[in-house]
Amino acid sequence: MNMNTPDIQAQQAVEYACELGAASADAVAICTADTSVAVRQGKVESIERDQGNGIGLRVFIDTPKGPAFATASTSDLSAAGIRALAEQTLAMARISEADPDAVPPLGADHPDAQALQQWNEQHATEREPWQLDKARNAALECEAIARQYDPRITNSEGADAGFGVSDVAYASSDGFAAAYSKSSASLSISVIAGSGDDMQRDYAWHRASGHEALRTAAELGREAAGRAVRKLGAGDMPSAAMPIIFEPRVATSLLGHLKSAINGRAVLQQRSFLAQSLHERIFPAGFDVVDNPDHIQGLGNRLFDGEGTRCQRCRLVEDGVLQMFLADRYAARRLGLPARGHAQRGLTGDISIGTSNLICASGHMTQQEILAEIGNGLLVTELIGFGVNGVTGDYSRGAAGLLIENGEISRPVQGITIAGQLPKMFASITHLGSDLTWFGNIAAPTIAIEGMTIAGNNQE
Amino acid sequence: MKIARMSESYLPAEIPVDIDFLQQMLNHMLPARADDGDLYLERHIAESLALEEGRVKHISASTRQGLGARIIQGEASGHACTDQLDPAALQDTAAAARAIITSGGAHAPVRIRPADSPRQLYTREIPAAGVDLQQRKQLLAELDALARSMDSRVSQVFANIAYSWSDIHIIRHDGCHLHDRRPLVRLNVSVVVEQNGRRETGSSGGGGRFTLQELIDSEQAEHFVREAVRMALLNLDAQAAPAGPMPVVLGPGWPGILLHEAIGHGLEGDFNRKGTSIFSGRMGQRVAAPGVTVIDDGTIAQRRGSLNFDDEGTGSQRTVLIEDGILTGYLLDRQNARLMGLQSTGNGRRESYAHPVLPRMTNTFMLGGREQPETILNSLEKGIYAVNFGGGQVDITSGKFVFTTSEAYYVENGVIQYPVKGATLIGSGHEVLQKISMIGNDLALDSGVGTCGKAGQSVPVGVGLPTIRIDELVVGGTQV
Repeated sequence: MNMNTPDIQAQQAVEYACELGAASADAVAICTADTSVAVRQGKVESIERDQGNGIGLRVFIDTPKGPAFATASTSDLSAAGIRALAEQTLAMARISEADPDAVPPLGADHPDAQALQQWNEQHATEREPWQLDKARNAALECEAIARQYDPRITNSEGADAGFGVSDVAYASSDGFAAAYSKSSASLSISVIAGSGDDMQRDYAWHRASGHEALRTAAELGREAAGRAVRKLGAGDMPSAAMPIIFEPRVATSLLGHLKSAINGRAVLQQRSFLAQSLHERIFPAGFDVVDNPDHIQGLGNRLFDGEGTRCQRCRLVEDGVLQMFLADRYAARRLGLPARGHAQRGLTGDISIGTSNLICASGHMTQQEILAEIGNGLLVTELIGFGVNGVTGDYSRGAAGLLIENGEISRPVQGITIAGQLPKMFASITHLGSDLTWFGNIAAPTIAIEGMTIAGNNQE
Repeated sequence: MKIARMSESYLPAEIPVDIDFLQQMLNHMLPARADDGDLYLERHIAESLALEEGRVKHISASTRQGLGARIIQGEASGHACTDQLDPAALQDTAAAARAIITSGGAHAPVRIRPADSPRQLYTREIPAAGVDLQQRKQLLAELDALARSMDSRVSQVFANIAYSWSDIHIIRHDGCHLHDRRPLVRLNVSVVVEQNGRRETGSSGGGGRFTLQELIDSEQAEHFVREAVRMALLNLDAQAAPAGPMPVVLGPGWPGILLHEAIGHGLEGDFNRKGTSIFSGRMGQRVAAPGVTVIDDGTIAQRRGSLNFDDEGTGSQRTVLIEDGILTGYLLDRQNARLMGLQSTGNGRRESYAHPVLPRMTNTFMLGGREQPETILNSLEKGIYAVNFGGGQVDITSGKFVFTTSEAYYVENGVIQYPVKGATLIGSGHEVLQKISMIGNDLALDSGVGTCGKAGQSVPVGVGLPTIRIDELVVGGTQV
């Protein structure tokens, strides 16, 4: 067993690659340990413990046509395993075709030593991790409260509690090396209301940096049960064009579509409906979206990205105007933009692009006030399927929710779709709620949009 | 330099763990009261080449190995895994798996012995054998050139060739030791076309459990390129889809995703044992129109969803889920089968050693009927003819499922009027199959592109369908 810490392993991989003839290299090393316990109907159903380690290496060589590179990963962390990884990656890079715009891992805008030290002090991982028995008790309590919430709760898919820690390290042949630890805890519950042909399932979950920051078992249990019960008796509705109000839980998906559309690589590949929209108004005035790599509630906090670039707080959309595309160093060079820390990197595969904590600015109205002002519409509580075309922005997804009549919730509906066009949907946002809600590394309030089409059953 | 040869030497097929040590570990791990348990050792090797902007500039590879240990007693299971295969880490993993059982003595000692050789549905060769990186690179370059030569409106071409192989050792609680090598190859092509400022995409691909050489020899690659370009150009003329309920005719092959979502997931044993599926307790009842027979078959040679045996060592089989419209079977792993008083159907699958076993589909399809496909299309007065789809999803409790078209047409009186933009179709699993009124004689399986996600785990699957008519499905377009 390789007893070295991930930062040493990452540096070893980079050193081997350079010894073998790489022009430059960088590596990530990850070490995770997770435990989870699942309970169902008052009994422990499973205990799982995962331990994972790995190194992902990227190797560059120089060719007359420019730099060429390859990536490879392994879970074999012995010195021989890491050396073999370096040999394999280098051999692959020699076959790869050069791209004059490829950016080797040299001279990135790295955080300095002081920033690193400060970060690790401010983001110390939880010193007292959750214990298995306490996690189990939280799951049992959460499920018991959900099952007792209402006599119409008839069944349970159970509750899960989990906790873990991961150490992540990055090293580059330009001498930069850094590591950080992250802890997390989570609690989730899913229950079923009704029976026979009218059976409805819903859930609640929360994930935080430690168990002390989790929402309580009682709160989550009540939320899941309340959501399942209010769906009972869900029926059809006729096709219609009417305002759609997205609950925060589903409103986050709209931010996800924005993120995909402003991905610098998608823009370069002409695979985004926003490719020509930089510095244009794509949302109504007053609409802001921020990527914040250091937010107390966010689980996506990071000091540097997958290329070692310092992460900066970025206003992606300001007053409705698209301010920037998300870029790694390659996309940044091609698009003529600065790299601000959006390179995403797992162990396997090439670098991709992503955000740290994506936050949609909230408004001033409560959800109830928004419903009252809109009068007649559909409050969407669930979306299913993958009906989003990132190239054209065409949007068509399965939905379920609550019909709003005269400003109030009238009845649950299901078996419908909502459809539109993302550019028009973005521009037609009419209301933002004051109920900004976090889901891991993304936060959104209630969002209302006009001009979408609901397809339902006309013969009601 | 030939990378394939180098990979072979540094990545031996066999996993570096001593069988005697595993035997000790198994005996130490198994408590007297366990119903079941196993050790699952896996070494997974994958490699991918991607072409973009005319250059093969993304080459990546991964190697992952590890052991998962599992103990099952009644409804409870303990699962632990490690990717460090030294004795200390392995013993620690066994102890963690055993933590689920809090009392009881040791199991009677077992001896590890090899299982009878199972059937071979796919090659034991390494899928890249004989096709080195240079050749794969050359293939991608040819596909790029072909796509660009087909139409001047093709502005971007993406092509990806990937292969993987897993060596799997399962050592069951009775000492039975099974070994499988599972190859998987995949080729994908997608293009962007541009005309008067409008951009559209099309994509196509396929693969299965065979070698890259077989994929090349089949000359399917060229077919995928032609399909991707054809679909992208077609989308340039696509109009908004209608909204609301209407008859839908599904073409053969990949539209079988309907079955995967509408009933396949709802018949998985875990949901039915727990009573959380809309199909719970409906065994023997009519759930589909007469003439509808749906089968899950993991034994079709070389298919993406096929397995010599599942991840619990149960030989995969052909399971009739619906026969002539009547619900006849569930998809079962060992634990759920035992709790339901049934036999495993060989559908216990896991994404890797680090994931728990769940009942999952293999290749799921509907048997062909008597109608000519043209007769079925001609029956459509006003409706949608859908021949290709993106993904789908289902809520197994309410039964609502969706799947989204990627190639579909608006039809009047049996005549195609125009292509429509991607629209999500939504229905109820327990109702929609009862609305099937015509079944074609043209059953086809998909080209080998399916990946099924459940509880955060992805596994390769297949689907198949003949042309069918569904009298009513809600079409999620924008035209009311």
